[in-house]
Amino acid sequence: MTTAVSVERITKRFAGHTAVRDLSFAVPAGGIFGLLGPNGAGKSTTIRMIMDIIEPDEGRIALFGTATSSRDLSERVGFLPEERGLYREMKVLDHLTFLGEVKGLRSAEARTRAVKWLERLGLSDWSLKKVEDLSKGMQQKIQFAGTLIHDPDLVILDEPFSGLDPVNLQVMKDVVVEIARSGRTVLFSTHIMEQAERMCDRIVIIARGEKVVDGAVSEVKAGFGEHHIALTFAGNKEAASRILADRQLVAKVDDYGASAEVSLAAGASAQTLLATLVQANVELKRFEVVEPSLQSIFIAKVGDASHAPARAEAA
Amino acid sequence: MRKTLAILRREFNARVRTRAFVLSTILLPVMLVLFSVAPALLSRGVTRTEHVAVVDATGDSLGMNIVAVLTRERLSGDSTGTGAAIPRYALTRVPATMGTLQHVVDSLVAQTGIGRHDTAGDLDGVLMITDTTLRSGKLEYLGDNTSALEAMGALEGSVSRVLVLTRLERDGINSGAVMGAMVPADMTTVKVSDGKATGESGTASFILCYVMGFLLYLMIIIYGLQTLTSVIEEKTSRIMEVLVSSVRPFQMLVGKIFGVGLTGLLQMAIWGGTIYLVGNQRAMLARMIHVSPAAMQQLPIPSMSTSLLVIFLLYFVLGFLLYGALYAAIGSMFNSVREAQQVASFVQITIFLGFMSLFAVMKDPGGGLCTVLSFVPFFSPFIMPTRWSLTAVPGYQLAISLALSVVALFAVAWIAGRIYRTGMLMYGKKPSLLQALKWVTTK
Repeated sequence: MTTAVSVERITKRFAGHTAVRDLSFAVPAGGIFGLLGPNGAGKSTTIRMIMDIIEPDEGRIALFGTATSSRDLSERVGFLPEERGLYREMKVLDHLTFLGEVKGLRSAEARTRAVKWLERLGLSDWSLKKVEDLSKGMQQKIQFAGTLIHDPDLVILDEPFSGLDPVNLQVMKDVVVEIARSGRTVLFSTHIMEQAERMCDRIVIIARGEKVVDGAVSEVKAGFGEHHIALTFAGNKEAASRILADRQLVAKVDDYGASAEVSLAAGASAQTLLATLVQANVELKRFEVVEPSLQSIFIAKVGDASHAPARAEAA
Repeated sequence: MRKTLAILRREFNARVRTRAFVLSTILLPVMLVLFSVAPALLSRGVTRTEHVAVVDATGDSLGMNIVAVLTRERLSGDSTGTGAAIPRYALTRVPATMGTLQHVVDSLVAQTGIGRHDTAGDLDGVLMITDTTLRSGKLEYLGDNTSALEAMGALEGSVSRVLVLTRLERDGINSGAVMGAMVPADMTTVKVSDGKATGESGTASFILCYVMGFLLYLMIIIYGLQTLTSVIEEKTSRIMEVLVSSVRPFQMLVGKIFGVGLTGLLQMAIWGGTIYLVGNQRAMLARMIHVSPAAMQQLPIPSMSTSLLVIFLLYFVLGFLLYGALYAAIGSMFNSVREAQQVASFVQITIFLGFMSLFAVMKDPGGGLCTVLSFVPFFSPFIMPTRWSLTAVPGYQLAISLALSVVALFAVAWIAGRIYRTGMLMYGKKPSLLQALKWVTTK
């Protein structure tokens, strides 16, 4: 398996704090790779280093196995930054053509592709309008098209789905999935776990600039243990709450009121928990041993990570 | 290279395709041509032969003399033109006595200024000479063109010369000798500097220098500020983030400055070309609108030599690129035009000093100070074209000045590129000049 992006032990310090610390991961060619983490974890800094917008203080980054700057590989790389804008005064078609040209496409070629993309996104009628006349959602579609207009092998998207309405979200998601299906690579960052869970083949979770989880989504879930149980209550919630508070049985509860996701304590089995609940007359609609959701892994891991440095600082 | 060109093209199109650019570019030449052509066109109506009846009640040869002199008068406007000169007056002498004078005049006045001069009898005016005219100098002109001051002045001048000569001859003095003695001085002022006659009147070359300097000053500031604003806009709209992943900051800087500069050059070429055309190609322009070239001389638009036009445009390009790079670097440091204004004003002051030093050059274009200033990169765009227009600049001095400008340009571009590289992605905090200098030196 070839590697599209390899990040080796990179560190980036800004005045006063370390944004990324000794971070390594590899994005295999083909498929969708998720870079996850809470706000301020260092996702955008990492992506900017991959794009050679800023240089890491330590460590190396390679794209397609070479140390060539992503700018010189811009024909093969598409990048959508988190903060993105357009020239408001330009006409839509001209703008999309321009975005193709700066990636290295010839004028005529860029124009042809821009026309096709506008058709695909249902914006053909707007070709000759100014960008400022478009709605925000339409502008995001143009930015998205601008990222992909040159058919890059590697697409890097920084928080691509933030601020999209459900309809546009669906359109963008379909495009991303299609890219991956055609054998190309997508690397995107997000803090919304449901999205990552549904789309990604592999993920890296970072918190406070450090890696906390790395691997294929299925492996990550398997590695997190089979001690997860999803519960939906029909009645006698009070009794259930008492039992779930028993630290001998349950290590952690993610309580949603009518339902809960539970991690079993070490040594406890699902069978014991079920028996205890039944004895206490808790009415259950659902009792299922499940894979942990990325959300719960995320909260568990990032929660740990956010405590760890605090201790380190205290020491 | 293709990426830089794409940026250049975008900058150029974004500016040239605005209504403001088209209007301002076209308006100046139109006005210039209008101002130089309009007077000629307007005066064309006057420069035709006037039909005048001379009612002669003198009883002696005075009336004959006046008619003879007036018949020889030619329309001055055509003195330099081609073809035979056109007589100024078509005269009809009508003899009368002091008794019949009023009657004759009344009947002639009835024919005056009514028709469109298509019948032989129609008149522009009636000149009335009496027997007291020789002594008192008093005579009367009745016509429909009495408010044409120039025409009246010419007529009066001609008549008074006849009167003077007639009086002198009456007193037995040789009129030919007097005429010869009375030829007045006719002084033309020609600006001479450093032993080189510029072929220009002093006023004209002053106006040319001033206009050139002012255009440079204005255009460098206008287009420089445009560069600054557009960099800040790219930052605030976050389009910079999108571009910076595929284009090097230096490519962006070069594309942007050349794009904006080309817009300015186009405008300058159109404006400078118009001045060149109106100033130098007056004869051709005159032929195009069928007026005499002499009539167009009224507007003191100086002629601009081809070499001066080329040098002027060359120094505009160099000057703009030099200042444009500075403006772009300043723009990249700040998040709003208001913040940038403070630092930009330093650049503006330098440009202003360059413009002001023009006046020193105009006073003493061959002086040592001017020679030195015409080598200093940030001032040479103002000084050198002025020196060139006023004195003979040795070729090697021009070469040195140009070379120094180019060297400075590379240095400024390098520094600006480094500031730009760091500044373009800086948001929030406003850097000090010291910090900006650090950006230049750090890797």
